[in-house]
Amino acid sequence: MKTTMQRKVIVIPCSGIGKALGSISREATYEVVESLRKGVTETTCLALITSGDEETLQLVKTNKCITVDGCPLQCAQKNVKLVDGELAASFRVVDTLKENRRLKPKSVTFLDRDGQELASLLAKQVAEKVDELLKE
Amino acid sequence: MVDLPEKKVGIISCSGEACVEGTISRVATRLVLEKLRTEKTVTICLPLFLAGGKEERAFAKCYPTITVDGCDKLCAKIATERYSGKPASSIVVTDLNGNKNCSTTGPKRKLDDQAMGLAEKVAERIAQEVDEVLNHWK
Amino acid sequence: MSEYLQTVFDKFELRVHKEYHYTEDGLWVKIEASKVRVGVSDYLQRTGGDVAFVEVVKQGSTIERQAEFGTLETAKTTVSLPSPVSGTIEQVNGALSEKPELVNSDPYGEGWLVTLAPRNLEDDLKTLVNADQYFELMLKNLETEHRKLEVR
Repeated sequence: MKTTMQRKVIVIPCSGIGKALGSISREATYEVVESLRKGVTETTCLALITSGDEETLQLVKTNKCITVDGCPLQCAQKNVKLVDGELAASFRVVDTLKENRRLKPKSVTFLDRDGQELASLLAKQVAEKVDELLKE
Repeated sequence: MVDLPEKKVGIISCSGEACVEGTISRVATRLVLEKLRTEKTVTICLPLFLAGGKEERAFAKCYPTITVDGCDKLCAKIATERYSGKPASSIVVTDLNGNKNCSTTGPKRKLDDQAMGLAEKVAERIAQEVDEVLNHWK
Repeated sequence: MSEYLQTVFDKFELRVHKEYHYTEDGLWVKIEASKVRVGVSDYLQRTGGDVAFVEVVKQGSTIERQAEFGTLETAKTTVSLPSPVSGTIEQVNGALSEKPELVNSDPYGEGWLVTLAPRNLEDDLKTLVNADQYFELMLKNLETEHRKLEVR
């Protein structure tokens, strides 16, 4: 039986490769799981969820999940819902962008300064949501 | 009517977050798109492809594809075969690196010099495969 | 028969509505009885990127042809919107404040920007191109500008 100490929140980015928004979703996720909420969060590959990897499906069905999508197409959210993952919250990079209009991330492969800043801002929002979910 | 280039290759890359090879796969694909074979390649966004992206799937059905996977779980290859058809070529980063398992320790998002070197090597390999596919397609 | 001219470039399907008029910048004009409806073309939304904000002048404002009546703020840039006709803004698409992504997902339909009561429509139409002409322009632009196209 899962104890409180073992509970984790799974943060799943879209990691879309065509736009800076996808790169930012990925970077924000890493910031949360490797730094801000290390030890109580984990990430996994969206493609493993969709390909039906048993271990990954088990992970997303037995832990609360937060999806971090780049754009309004919300591929991560859609795919997690499709497999009946325990979707607890969804974020979109484009919403953080709307709150920070001065930032104009252009670079996709390696984030530029605006991209990095957006990722950090989003990571903090996700981290706060993680705290809320862990209290429940 | 302007004569548009028609022969292009779609690159479908995993972007796996679980290991550094996913990041390498992603970076290598972007290097091919941005520098090595700019005019000849298109990148297919795997999450959009999986979620039913019409344009992504249509392209992958009509044009040759190369899949680039970080590890032997082969998510990009499996998805391509499932939704659009067998890729013309498949590359697995761990094969090029001599490892069979993903590296789950160490920096995953920021590639160190060694990982960046591998990304460049993978990019060169993808570019060679692009050339071969296009030659075969003539 | 389709109401669009369309082409596929790389993986992108790019459409031009056959019945609209266009500026060379990529704004479209649809004539509707006594008013005109204005929006952006598929190509313009694709090169501009994901729209985060749409800002246009207020209802009731008068605007001269080629004067800026608004902007699209996208993830990567700000796109200026020069008015294709002179006239008075009758309606502003209120849906875009909550869902600016409609400009990307349905540029010729729900993503319309404003309607105007035109002042010199006959003269202003002479400065616009028809769908076939815009389609050719778009194809020429694609050769040089295609790397700006965004995944949708």
